[in-house]
This record gives sequence, structure tokens and C-alpha cells, in this order.
Amino acid sequence: MPSRRAFLAGLASASVTPTLGWSDVGNPIALSAAMTPEGQHVLVGLSVTGAITFQLPLPARGHAAAAHPHLAEAVAIARRPGTFAKVINCATGHVAQTLTAPFGHHFYGHGAFSADGALLFTTENEIATGQGRIGVWDRSAGYTRLDAFASAGIGPHEILRLPGGMLAVANGGIRTHPDTGRDKLNLDTMRPNLALFDTGGQLTDLAEGPAAEHLNSLRHISVGTNGTIACGFQWQGDPFEAPALVGLYKGNGTLIPAHINDLTLRQLDGYIGSVSAFGTHIAASAPRGGHMLTFDQSGAETGVHRAADVCGLCSTPQNSCLVTDGFGHVYTLSDADLTLRAKHPLAFDNHLVALTAA
Amino acid sequence: MRLALILPFCALPAFADVDRALDTHILPAQTELADTTQALADTAQADCTPQAVRPAFHIAYDAWISISHIQFGPLEDQALTLPMSFWPDPKDSTGKALARLTAARDPIVDDPDNFDDVSAAAQGFTALERMLYDPQPDADYACRLTQAIATGLARKSEAITHDWPAFADLMRSAGTDGNTRFQDEDEARRALYTALSTGLQFLHDQRLGRPLGTFDRPRPRRAEARRSERTLRHIQLQLAALETLATAMTDTDLTQTRTAFAEARQRAKTLDDPALQDVADPARRFKVEVLQQAVRAVQVAMINEIGTPLGISAGFNSLDGD
Repeated sequence: MPSRRAFLAGLASASVTPTLGWSDVGNPIALSAAMTPEGQHVLVGLSVTGAITFQLPLPARGHAAAAHPHLAEAVAIARRPGTFAKVINCATGHVAQTLTAPFGHHFYGHGAFSADGALLFTTENEIATGQGRIGVWDRSAGYTRLDAFASAGIGPHEILRLPGGMLAVANGGIRTHPDTGRDKLNLDTMRPNLALFDTGGQLTDLAEGPAAEHLNSLRHISVGTNGTIACGFQWQGDPFEAPALVGLYKGNGTLIPAHINDLTLRQLDGYIGSVSAFGTHIAASAPRGGHMLTFDQSGAETGVHRAADVCGLCSTPQNSCLVTDGFGHVYTLSDADLTLRAKHPLAFDNHLVALTAA
Repeated sequence: MRLALILPFCALPAFADVDRALDTHILPAQTELADTTQALADTAQADCTPQAVRPAFHIAYDAWISISHIQFGPLEDQALTLPMSFWPDPKDSTGKALARLTAARDPIVDDPDNFDDVSAAAQGFTALERMLYDPQPDADYACRLTQAIATGLARKSEAITHDWPAFADLMRSAGTDGNTRFQDEDEARRALYTALSTGLQFLHDQRLGRPLGTFDRPRPRRAEARRSERTLRHIQLQLAALETLATAMTDTDLTQTRTAFAEARQRAKTLDDPALQDVADPARRFKVEVLQQAVRAVQVAMINEIGTPLGISAGFNSLDGD
């Protein structure tokens, strides 16, 4: 049941984007970008059994999407260093609006709505300085640009709404410039962190890994119902010297490393693609190494599965984890088991976006 | 560098011949590993001096390199990948582990049932190479450690080989009721294809890429098995094994793949540099780079002629992550 405030917010913007609720589009529990065999980019809704509840064309390949907490509306954000984001009515497939990053900024590919759905937050690069910024957009005013605040680091990638409305930002630490594509300009000095903000954009905590592991770029984060934030890293050094690529944040400026067995760690190419805090466990996908990993709350490994090109992850209302790969498979993952649920003629893209509002 | 290819993925016209890959490649190569490591262990028991053990070491190491790209199955299930061979080893874990055992004269070397408790880095072919090619001040302990490693390699190889026929049956019955390991029929093919593509990538990025380093900073000391001058041999053996796997696992036209393999084979053959130490010589380094490019050509051909027809080549996420 939508809250009164969301209902009012929906009414307020109804003239711009007449939008139905998620139940009107088949009750998907997750959104994913995907590519059809013909090369068409699409946005799909997935049910808990891996069935497709809707499939809409996208104008170009996106990276991730931000899902509105109540209304069947998603914002698909360009891959970095893109400058557009498309507001999509998931009931009609209509691109209701195109957001453009302010002059001198580009998007990093992720975004998140506020709990009431009134504000959208996007991770951005202030190109001239390389400083990370969080763009604030007012949905109720037709997605006008309201504000921006410092992300407290360089290269903010995933942004997450926490239970209680706070925001968490994974600052990857890597400076890039659109003139040099994805070239990494500051590997010697990079210093990734996890930054926590209150709803007003005030920094409330900052967690960094050890200085000796400053090449461990934090990219993806996911929060569990108990507030623990799962962290997925991408190691910029020799993959055979990689430290823990998964971590847990439980407060107090501290990242707790998860334990990955040596053999598996050496096979991951130093790369975690997504993380998901689900039920009492944490999942991490390694698309380059072709592995799915699960951990308990202490960071101890509880499951290791080979799964080629696996990447998209999100928690389900049943406390399992939904998993997608580039071959069109949908799996569910428990603390120990990975079970195939469905196969579609699609290549699922990097990220699944949960529609279970935090 | 990763292959920056986004390829269309198609329906499944061809059937990878899982049976043929098992029967003509994996199972015989696995038996060869068990036989040659047993001969290695017997040799070391009879005479543990480096001169006596080296010939059997080379034969058994050849057998391992010819099957080590099959990383799934019993090898992985028994967690024996690293105990069989610990490379790459940028932190010199092998040197450190052997030095610790030797300094302590650890009696675990006389206890074959528990030798697998020592560091994985001290158990495999990479450790045995050190024993046979580095100076060993404590000859008595070195002898016992050599025997322990050789015996351990034989035991591990036997354990893996013993489990392969049952695992092969799971691959052959992919998608049938109760087969939770291979839940649909594509999974067995995908496992073979992953072994092929991962093997080629390892060849390109690690076996060739690590010693090559960059032009400004070549890393000859990072060459695999440089002490026994087996670096180039490993590349040739792996090329041969991967070609066998590639031709066994599909019935599609492999003209481009065969040509690319032949070119890489020829480049390796004319490389008169067994431990790839010439990577530091600007005038001779290019020959190794050309071989690496030839391996890249095999990767491209394999994607076009095997991966794409099988519908398992997309790499949608692994090739374009963020």
C-alpha cells in the first residue's frame, strides 16, 4: 500500500508522468536491463520465479536503474561517462523524460530514490576537479535539478538508500576523465571509501580499507534488513595478489573483510560485479572469474559456485537472492545452493534492481 | 588486455560433443597424469638426488600441464588445484613455505598421510622444481622433502583420476532428473567451453603476459618454471591440449581456429628461448609478443567458430563490467 505522501507525490506529478504502481505491471520484484538476440536493449521486470513480467525497449545500453519505491517508474542511467538518464514509465514503456547531467558533470551509472520517492540521487563526476558529487533531482517538480553535494571521495559508483532514509555511497577512488575514456588517472594515490550521509547530505561516517590495500576499489554495495552493508571490490593490482574482494560494514568507520578461500580468490580476476545482502547472508558475483559466492554475517564463506558470466543480484521478499547472467539464466541463491529457475532469450546486464523498498 | 568483443548470441544449432571431449581428451589425459606421477614417486623413492628425479619430473609435469586447464570437476571438488601447482606466485609463497619446512626440519615429510596439511605452495610441481633446480644446503632433508612432494603428487593425481569416471557420467547426463550438478544440457558444454577460453586467457595473460610485463619493465623472473627452463614447453603443451579439446568438443567448421592454432604452434616452435628470458632484450622481445598475438588470434577464432555457434560466447557482463 503506497504511503499517503507517495500517493500525493504521484498525484502531484500525474500531469507529467501518469504512473501506475508496480502491481499494475505484474508485481515484479526486480528490474534488469538486458539485450535481445537481435541486439535490442530492453528493460525487464522479473518475478520471484524468474518469469518476465514486462519487457520494454530502451533507447541505448544503460548501466543500472533506480526504481521508484511505489510507482511503476524507473530511471535508467547511462554507463559512465554518459550524461543522460531516462525516466521510464514501466506500465507503458514510454520514456517520460530524459535527465541530462549538468554541464561539467557526467553520471557514473547508479542512482537511488529517497524513501518517499520524491527525490532521486545520482552519482556524478565533477569533471574539472575529478571530485565525486551526488546530484539531487526533485521528482515532484518534474525531475528538476535541486542540488548536489560532495560524495566524500573520487569516483562514486553505487548509491543506496538505507533503512531509515540515510544514503550510502561507494566511492571507487579512481579518477577518470571523459577525454581519456575509462583510463585510470590516479592509481598511485587512489583511496576508496564507503561514505554514509543523512537525508540532508551531511556526512555521518566514512569507512576505508587498510592503506596497503588502497588499490581495492569499492564499487558496489547492498544493505540488509539488519543494516549491515555488503561491499564488493575491484582490485586494481595483480589479481594473484588480491586482498579480500568482499567486505561488511556494520558501523564505526570499519570495513570487515570477508574470507574467500585462496583458490577461488585467485580465479576471480580481482573483480566482483555485484553484491546483495539477502536474508541473513551476503552474495557476491564474479562475472570475470565465473563464480557466485555467499557469506554469513561474520564474512565466513558459506557457498562457492561456478557460474559463467554471472552478475546481476538482488534480494527477494522470500529472503533468497535472485541471480542473472549474460546467457539469460535466472537463478535463486540460498546460503548454500544455486538453483536454476528460468532461461530467457536475453543477455541480462550487470545489475538487478530490487523493488522491495527499504 | 581483455578481448573487447561484444558478439551476438544465437540459438543453439550445434551440439558440443561432450562424450568425445571426455573420451578422447580428458579421461586419457587424466590417466596419463596418474601413471606419470606414480612413476615420479617411484623414481624419487629409489633415488632422491635431483639428477635421478629430473627426467621423471619432466614427464609428469608434461602430463599435468596437458590437463591442468580442466579446472572443474574432481580437481576443484577436492580443492587440489593449488596443491598440484602454485603459480603465479608473486609473493614467493613456494620459496617461503619450503624454507620454513627446511629450517624446522619438519618431520611431516616422513608422514605421507598428513603431508597435504603443509602449505599448498610447498606441495606441487612448482615446489618440486625448486627442490630439483635450486641449491639445497641440507641434502638429507631435501631428499625426504623431494620424496614427500613426489609421493603427494602421485596420491593427489590418483584421487582426481579415480573420481573422473563418475564425474564424466554427470556431464553425459546433464539436464536429467536428479542431476543437480549439470542442471541443463548446456551446462556441460559451457564447462568445456569455459575450460577452453579460460585456458587460452591464462596462456595469453599469465604464461606469456607475466614475463612480458611492459616494454619499459619486462619481468623475466616472472616466467613460469624458468629454473627448469620449461616456460616455453608449458606454452606449447597447453596449446596442443587446448587444440585437442577444441576439436573434440564441436562438430562446427574450425578452419579459422585450426589455422590460428597452427600459426601459434609455429611461432612457439621458432622461439629459441626456453625460459623466455629474452623478454628483457629489446631486439628479441618482439618474438614473444608475436607469439602472444598469435594466441590472441586463437581466442578470436575460438569465439567465432565454437562459442558463437554454441550460443555461449556472449560474455556480456565479464567483457563490459563497471
